[in-house]
Amino acid sequence: MVKVMVYPPTSMILADLVERTGHEALVVSKEVRKKVNTPGLDSPPLNMTPEDPKKGLKYAAVDVPSGVRGRMSLFGPMIEEADAAIVIRNDDCTLGCTGCARTNELTRFLLKTKRIPLLELDYPEDEFQAKQFVHKIHEFLEGLN
Amino acid sequence: MIRIAQISCGPEYSGVQGELEKAAEMVGAELIFPEVSLEDVRNVEERFGIKVASGDLNLAMARATRIVENPDLADAVFVATCFRCAEGAIVRSEIRKYIHENSRIPVLSYSFTERTTAETLLTRMEALVTTAKFKGLLARERQTGLTAGIDSGSTTTKSVVMRENEIIGTGWVPTTEVIKSAEAAYNAALESAGVKKEEIEGLGTTGYGRHLVGKHFGAKLIQEEITVNSKGAVFLADAQKGTATVIDIGGMDNKAISVQDGIPGTFTMGGICAGASGRFLELTARRLGVDITELGKLAMKGDYRKVPMNSYCIVFGTQSLVNSLSAGSRPEDVAMAACHSVAEQVFEQQLQEVEVKEPVIMVGGTALIEGLPRAMEQLLALKVMVPKYAQYIGCVGASLLVSGLVED
Amino acid sequence: MKSTKCVVTSQDSDVLPSDIALKIYELGREINVKETCFGVIIDGEEKDINATVEEIRAMDPSNIFIKDRGFPPGDPRRCRGHRGGGARPGFYMMQHESEILPLISRGLASEARGEEAPSQIETRKRPSLEELEEMIKEEFS
Repeated sequence: MVKVMVYPPTSMILADLVERTGHEALVVSKEVRKKVNTPGLDSPPLNMTPEDPKKGLKYAAVDVPSGVRGRMSLFGPMIEEADAAIVIRNDDCTLGCTGCARTNELTRFLLKTKRIPLLELDYPEDEFQAKQFVHKIHEFLEGLN
Repeated sequence: MIRIAQISCGPEYSGVQGELEKAAEMVGAELIFPEVSLEDVRNVEERFGIKVASGDLNLAMARATRIVENPDLADAVFVATCFRCAEGAIVRSEIRKYIHENSRIPVLSYSFTERTTAETLLTRMEALVTTAKFKGLLARERQTGLTAGIDSGSTTTKSVVMRENEIIGTGWVPTTEVIKSAEAAYNAALESAGVKKEEIEGLGTTGYGRHLVGKHFGAKLIQEEITVNSKGAVFLADAQKGTATVIDIGGMDNKAISVQDGIPGTFTMGGICAGASGRFLELTARRLGVDITELGKLAMKGDYRKVPMNSYCIVFGTQSLVNSLSAGSRPEDVAMAACHSVAEQVFEQQLQEVEVKEPVIMVGGTALIEGLPRAMEQLLALKVMVPKYAQYIGCVGASLLVSGLVED
Repeated sequence: MKSTKCVVTSQDSDVLPSDIALKIYELGREINVKETCFGVIIDGEEKDINATVEEIRAMDPSNIFIKDRGFPPGDPRRCRGHRGGGARPGFYMMQHESEILPLISRGLASEARGEEAPSQIETRKRPSLEELEEMIKEEFS
């Protein structure tokens, strides 16, 4: 069983395909869950505090906007834990956790340079592409065992 | 309850969303998020004119179009993006202009960091709510009855007494202890007006110490300085019809306000910065061995270009001035360089965020330092007027507005 | 630790959210179920949730998708009703991916049947300069 980070880290499709193959999907909602269940924190909506952009300094310098560093405090630990990754190239709907293009660029860069097994592909637009999409992912995930 | 539509990118991830909500609550408003569909976000280029790489900025632009199409959704708009994000700053500026040009909804634009607190935002939020809530009161053009105003500033405390649209008494003291200084200024104004405190029908307070002073005197109006100063400025400059731009460089900060028909609209307020305020001029005057009231006349004889300034910061800026003096520069040139430095900062920061329309009115105590309005004129290439009683605009504005409440 | 998951059915599925809810009730574990337009949101102890999702997926493996959710259902910190309106960003992402779920379902079904994945289609080549010149002459003559 391998930890596979998915990009976008909000993707239901990728997370589902990873988990149905028996691996663990690293998704940002799990990080959010940790935050909202932390007792003693009351910082709506995600229980993120000014400490989080400071944690993000590990991945981006102080002159990088706070929204990038805050998001990296969520994504960074996921990237560190990842043994493999699946990355969608044509991610058009990037909102909320994935709403910042600079964060997304940095995340993809860190995953690529981590030298872990990495699969890059596009969301399918027709049935033909969908069959290839599912097959490639399935093959990749099986190969991780 | 005033509804402020929040159009933003990043505050939730910077850990400051709670502070935005707290600031809104403190001024009796609530933040709302205009509903948009996924299609609206996908089509933002068609409706707004551009689509950018960051999805949350596209969502923000979609929300802006929604508000313009349905102006009843919100009473005011707060646009906010992360400090230092270029994409965010460009989109924020375009959203501000878009809403300003296509609706009558007041807009506040701000760039936050993880250190932004509710207190930092309070004055701006108060001003936003005032422009949304008190349009009727802000439209007031004449002062009636016998009223007074106290402006409790960080450096000086001022007061005026007005009767039937005329200033009949003034008071001015350096701020030491807030209440004591307010009492001293108020008493001075009453004495010079020849009236007793009991005769005053209504008192308005403004400035940093407005809440403390207002409570102490039982003031009928306690109002932040953005709306009050701009009101006082257009009153004194007799510019209550048509457009006007008010530049208020104070003892510790600076503001720029666009006014339309006597009602303040878009405004920006610089963060507290000694280098971009009267503080720098005070320090320069001291260093040159002249009284602050003489600095202006000295500067008018000088040429700022003869004194290179390496930094806007008061510490490094003063260093530059001292170095120049040691190298033999004339005090006149140094005085003008200091004025130019302050004016240039306000020009590059605040004045890029509001539409600068004539007449341009400079107010506050610093406007009396002649070199400063001159430097601003050079930068804007526009005539700058400094009305009589420029240092009293806060208390004049407060006195004018409170007379509206007295009438009611 | 408590865990929350969204169970989303593809538009091609014959399984209704109410069917899923019924199945969960039948399983008798301590799990909260909330029906939504996309499917259901389930919430409970992690081990119960993990066991349950396998059984739900088995109802229609190619057409049921499971996603983790950060907040428990109806949490006022996230609920639109409590927080000034406007959809949560997560909602848009689900909507976006739901549009291609039927395609993914067909991909999964094909994979489950052991069909060979279609080979790479020949990508269209860029026209040469001469071909492009011909096209321009034709269009603008």
